[in-house]
Amino acid sequence: MSMDVISSIVLAAVRMAVPLLLIAMAELWSERAGMVNIGLEGLAAVGALAGFMLTFYTGNTWAGILAGAVAGILVNLIYAYATVSLCANHTVYGMAINLLAPALASFIYRVSFGTGGGLNQIELMKGVAIPVLKDIPFLGDLLFNQTPMVYLAFALVLFTNIYFRKTKSGLNFKSVGEHPKAAATLGINVIGIKYLSCVICGALAGIGGAYLTTCYSTTYTEGIVSGRGFIALAAVIFGRWNGTGVMGACLFFGLCDALQIRLQVSSLGVPYQFFQMIPYLATVVVLAIIGSKKAGPKANGLPYRKEER
Amino acid sequence: MKKIIALLLAVVMVFGLAACGGEGEAAADNNAEGKTYKVAFILNCSISDGGWGTACYSELVAAVERNENWEMAYTDNLAQDGYYDAMVAYCNEGFDLIYAPGGEYTDAVLQVAAEYPDVAFAQLNGGEDTPAAAVNGNVTSLLPNGQQIGWIAGALAGLMTETGTVAFIGGMELTTTLAKYEGFVEAAKYVGEKEGKSITALDAVYANSYDDSAKGIEFANAMMEQGADVFFGDASAIDSGARQAIDEKNKAAGSIKVFDIAQPADYLGQNECIIGSQVTDNSSLIELSFRAVEDGTFGGEVLYGNLENGVLSTGALNDLVPQEIKDKYLAYIEEMIAGTFMQ
Repeated sequence: MSMDVISSIVLAAVRMAVPLLLIAMAELWSERAGMVNIGLEGLAAVGALAGFMLTFYTGNTWAGILAGAVAGILVNLIYAYATVSLCANHTVYGMAINLLAPALASFIYRVSFGTGGGLNQIELMKGVAIPVLKDIPFLGDLLFNQTPMVYLAFALVLFTNIYFRKTKSGLNFKSVGEHPKAAATLGINVIGIKYLSCVICGALAGIGGAYLTTCYSTTYTEGIVSGRGFIALAAVIFGRWNGTGVMGACLFFGLCDALQIRLQVSSLGVPYQFFQMIPYLATVVVLAIIGSKKAGPKANGLPYRKEER
Repeated sequence: MKKIIALLLAVVMVFGLAACGGEGEAAADNNAEGKTYKVAFILNCSISDGGWGTACYSELVAAVERNENWEMAYTDNLAQDGYYDAMVAYCNEGFDLIYAPGGEYTDAVLQVAAEYPDVAFAQLNGGEDTPAAAVNGNVTSLLPNGQQIGWIAGALAGLMTETGTVAFIGGMELTTTLAKYEGFVEAAKYVGEKEGKSITALDAVYANSYDDSAKGIEFANAMMEQGADVFFGDASAIDSGARQAIDEKNKAAGSIKVFDIAQPADYLGQNECIIGSQVTDNSSLIELSFRAVEDGTFGGEVLYGNLENGVLSTGALNDLVPQEIKDKYLAYIEEMIAGTFMQ
């Protein structure tokens, strides 16, 4: 296998990993405050639509990214209110978001663009090549010739690691996911942090969806998120609830996808379904070996009632 | 108060689900002169995908608009486990005809057709043996000739390829998709050989999706790395992604050297790389189904669509196709119609 082929596979893996990474980081921030949100697919769907529409009408991809974040936040506030204030079941409302949001996105798209018409397309966000560094063999294109959103996604991982490991505020945030009652006795605003985590989760998942329609694909199609919200959920568990681990999981999933595409094209005779199942098989194996209870926030998915003993 | 708000949230979500479907396109009022018939259309991709879904939807709308005593409703973006439920819902609402455009609906169509003997089921790209498998005889297959669809694209690909490598992207590994791929490959090789070219057709690849346009981008990039310079596909939004990647490659090269052939409607002008289209006029097959329902003779048939009866045709070619090649291509199409192609 030549260096060009390897470079092409790695580039494809990064392209496919970035939306996953953004959506998975959304879940990481949510779960660090004990909010298990399985509604990522729906949040990304409205983000994708909002990103596409704003870019289509304004021609500005950054407006699209911002719109994706706002749309994600607005939809996730339903989940936040139901689970934090009403203490409803996280899984049920997450699934409800998965049903509501894509249907809402379809409805808005059809009201805006009509049905069955021609394909609406936008100009994607331009890549920003860093002079000199982009010419480094192999790594140049990979690391220094991407859209700003790719740089921001990886910077987010770094920020997340520093925030949760090195700052008092980050420790307070994590404590809400570990033991909210203990956190409350220390004067931490548990409800506020839970709401904040939902806002961050909605914004990042919405941006993840908007990335698909502003930086990756020139068109919006209903179903464009295509299960990435669920893969991102697996990536958080696979990545052991820490930024670097989640990034590694997303890159691994992206690499498997890029590989299965190349292997299909290369006609090696191995059924492509085999390569498609590798990331999921790996997740199952890792969970079976390491277990999930030791790594996840202890109060994950549990309702917090202030007055309860 | 909290319970009321929770109830309101639930109601909002239920209404959200209702946004998946549509009803009343080109609706006709019931009138005293005769019965108004109702056709329901189910789809596993979006009607706005700029490919298969858009074409199927548009053709049904066209058929309904030409038949004022028919009205339609549709549900798109269905998951596989939703095919049965969607059809049952329409049957219960008194629809006369269910239109399912794809071989992947076969099992669900046969199951619902067995439970609702008074409802007619028209399946586009259904199997030749599907009508016979329906216990109530209320299923008809509308069967555009997959091999000829492949020929129409393959002949153009064989004429236009410079690298000698052509590519095909599928959504799912369906019988009809395989037939299109095989027709595409045999026509490209035959025509290429006539032109003194050695044609290599990359193996068909499958995205396992009809929605994920990003997958189309990655497939097209990988296939262009293998030297493919003419593409054909049967994958809805995946095809749109592939065309995006081809356009980007052409833009980077400064000229249009990699081409795409669209289907099943004339999509010339949608992307720079599209040089022509294979067109399937499903609306004429649908109208034959309408007549059969009205006459009470529906079911148990296979209605074929091919070049000979005009259901299949070639769309317009753009200026990237030199006049000499256009002439040769149209001559090959004439051979296909006359039944002498590859003889």
